[in-house]
Amino acid sequence: MLYVKNLKKSYEVGKAKYEVLKGIDFHVAQGEFVAVMGPSGSGKTTLLNCISCYIPFDEGSITLGGTKLAGQSEEMLAKIRNTQIGFVFQDFMLLDGLSIRENILVPRIVQEEVGEDAEKLADSLVSLFGIGHIMNKYPAEISGGEKQRAAVARSLINNPLIILADEPTGNLDSKSSRAVIEAFGNAKDKMHATIFMVTHDSFAASFCDRVILLKDGAVYRQLERREERKNFQDVLLDAIKEMSE
Amino acid sequence: MTENFTMKKMERKLQHADRKHSKLYLFCNFMALMIITAFSALMLSPTVQTVFPEGGDSRKQMYAIFVLTLIGCVIFTMYASALFFRHKSSQLGILMALGASRKRLVPGLFREILILSSISSIAGIAAGFPFVWIIWRGFRLFLVDSADMYLTFDLKCIFVSIALLFLVVGFACLNAWRYLRRTNIMEVIREEHINEPVKEFRKWCGPVGFILIIAGGVLGYCAPSFWYNILQAYPPAWINFFYVPVFIGLYMVMLHTVVHGWRNYKKNPYKNIIARSMMKFQGKQTVNNLIIIALLIAGGCFAIFYVPASGAGALLMYAKQPFDYFFHYRADQNIDSEEEIRAFAARYGLSLKDWTQGEYITLGGGGNQEIMDDETHFHIEYVPIAGEVKILSEENYARITGESVDVKPGTYMCVMNEEESSIAASQSIGHLTNMDTRAQLTTEYAGNVHYTLLASDNYVVVDNADYEKLSEGLTDEWKGKIVGFNIVEKDSYAFANDFFHHFVDSFDESCELVYYYDRVAKLIANEKGEEFWGEYLLDELHYEDVDSSFFRLMWAYRPSFRILSQNDYLFTMSVFFMMFIFIFIVCLLTALVVCYTRCQTIALNNRYVFDDLKKLGASPAFMLKEVRNQCNNVFKVPMLVGMSVMYLLFAMILYGNDGKIVTSEIISLGACLGILVLIGGVVYAVYRGTVKEMKRKLGI
Repeated sequence: MLYVKNLKKSYEVGKAKYEVLKGIDFHVAQGEFVAVMGPSGSGKTTLLNCISCYIPFDEGSITLGGTKLAGQSEEMLAKIRNTQIGFVFQDFMLLDGLSIRENILVPRIVQEEVGEDAEKLADSLVSLFGIGHIMNKYPAEISGGEKQRAAVARSLINNPLIILADEPTGNLDSKSSRAVIEAFGNAKDKMHATIFMVTHDSFAASFCDRVILLKDGAVYRQLERREERKNFQDVLLDAIKEMSE
Repeated sequence: MTENFTMKKMERKLQHADRKHSKLYLFCNFMALMIITAFSALMLSPTVQTVFPEGGDSRKQMYAIFVLTLIGCVIFTMYASALFFRHKSSQLGILMALGASRKRLVPGLFREILILSSISSIAGIAAGFPFVWIIWRGFRLFLVDSADMYLTFDLKCIFVSIALLFLVVGFACLNAWRYLRRTNIMEVIREEHINEPVKEFRKWCGPVGFILIIAGGVLGYCAPSFWYNILQAYPPAWINFFYVPVFIGLYMVMLHTVVHGWRNYKKNPYKNIIARSMMKFQGKQTVNNLIIIALLIAGGCFAIFYVPASGAGALLMYAKQPFDYFFHYRADQNIDSEEEIRAFAARYGLSLKDWTQGEYITLGGGGNQEIMDDETHFHIEYVPIAGEVKILSEENYARITGESVDVKPGTYMCVMNEEESSIAASQSIGHLTNMDTRAQLTTEYAGNVHYTLLASDNYVVVDNADYEKLSEGLTDEWKGKIVGFNIVEKDSYAFANDFFHHFVDSFDESCELVYYYDRVAKLIANEKGEEFWGEYLLDELHYEDVDSSFFRLMWAYRPSFRILSQNDYLFTMSVFFMMFIFIFIVCLLTALVVCYTRCQTIALNNRYVFDDLKKLGASPAFMLKEVRNQCNNVFKVPMLVGMSVMYLLFAMILYGNDGKIVTSEIISLGACLGILVLIGGVVYAVYRGTVKEMKRKLGI
């Protein structure tokens, strides 16, 4: 599904050059729910932005569904973002001027493909995530948790190969966070969605099948979930503690 | 259902939701185009073009302020465009993140910005004409109305506006393209929230800025004289670059204002920290805005200072002049005799007293002339017959002025005003030549005598015997008479006005000349078979325009009738005054709009800061104080800098004219100070209104 090999990315600030990703390797299988954790500055968001084709990378390769992302034209990258990737931002990134229904349908609208099937899919997604009652409301009229669930629904409207989520619970209270994570769980279980999530939140990560720990721009360790969610959260916290020492 | 919800419809809906920002963008473009159109329409109108003397200081002043305003408006529209796209960027970024390619976004985005920028610009241009017409009409209704003030437009003015329109549209397209071609989509999404901090400069930045402003002003002002007097070359156009330090200094002062402020926070470093930080983190935009405001205020002050500068001196001179009526004419003209004038006055129930009459002759005077070595450089060469000089004998001078003067044979004395601020005859006249007989007398400068009424016509006084010698064989064409008298009763405007028209009617066509037309120079040029440089001047002035400002100010035989000059001063100068008052209004209005817009932007951009402050328990009084601090910096510093810099420059110009500050100039400076206080009042009122509006927007 998703293969990342020897991925390198650096930023230049003035004359100084900061190497953020120092050769990252991992893969995500179809239907897998994977989280990336790590301290601030470890390169989590940069990694996600490279995979989502939002920022160009320097070296290495990213292969999504058999398509190599490097060297693709701008037009092709836009198509990949639209059809093969669903993205969930930390701060929701809903368009204020559109209703929730319209926001969910935006990935279809940009391809001029709003048909009956899209409408039906939107309806089923909102009922799956428990936000059917806000379909005709506008972002300013709903809560943060509802906004993020709408964003998850939007990420699924094109049946993408993978959902990329950047700190999706970062701006939410615990109740809303749980609702969003459950929405991801529903997407995985009922729609066989593949989810790749960057998070700081061990609670959110404990719902995943696998957690990749990043430190200083490299993979520090990968942990697979073999136990109950609560126990897995403890394992994660121990690993994070060990990583910070 | 959303089945028919196309990309186009979505974009339209988003545009509708975004109308708050669009309105601001529309407003900024509209204002800039309206102001520039109005300014150029008035500046290039035949009304102004005919009244403002070509190559004159007033015209140069008008053009300089126009350039200043244009720069201000260009920066302002660029700022508006940048602001609009900062808000638009998050929308664009989200759509790009969701898979909209550039190709998909280009039509909608460019359609929107083309419509917004062109509609606002076209509306601004269209509004510019009624705007200037209404203001001009207002002047005519409430202030002064004269025949000169009949406003007509020359459609050439539209070219300036069209150029600005293309700039506005072009800049909007460039901005759109800049955002779309970015490869880092996250940057596009986050653009709106990216701060624009300015570089941290040390605290010397502000004081050094002030020094640069003063140094640049002095350098720019003195450079042309240096070129002319020391290098003996005409100043090239690039000499204006000597003013560049003024702009660098201005930037540094504004930078200091934004980064450090002008108060000392050492004792309490947390005082006003929120307002200071908000300013610092939007530094680039704020600094740009403050510079525009300072420039516009400086331009406005430069314009409005014209009124007291020219008014105070003239009105003071009229009040002090020793004769109610004073005029001169060529001896070959058929002007009324003393009896006829007395009879004319009697018809108005007036009688004359202090009748004074004298004679003068016009001769060819020698002088230093600039001989061109190449296109720019020249050397000075003495020419025995350079131009016209009016000569009075000691006796005639005493008769007219009542003051005796002793001029040694072979010398001459220049007639100047009391303050010696008038332009007198040259001090390098070495020869005086009778233009009929070509008899020549060697002479040299022996000092000045003072009589204001004779000071503006290049009179010199010579020894009686020299005068007699030089007058021999001179025809009436080169002879003239000077007359002065007072009125016994209270003077009548009707008499003065009728007498003025009657006086003008008495001259023949050979006297239909501007005062700077030089008959001697023409004669010499013709004798050499050369073309006279001033030939075009013959068509400059016409008797039928007897009531125009140009005629009254420029006619070679313009009389000085006190009551007419005093009463008609505003009429004579109306177009000048109204033009400069208009420029002042336009500059002040633009500066206030920029201040208001900047403060509104602060309110819009920092709404979340105030929300957070509210959540942290900040009292309304505290938040209001922060709002006031923000507005205070936006309004106060550039206004003070603009006003004080222009006041100092103005004082420097007055001093530079004649190397001293005379009474009328002190009065002008006092009046200018009064005007600055009035401007301060207006600015304060707008500041109060802006704070009130920000308070409402932020829900304080």
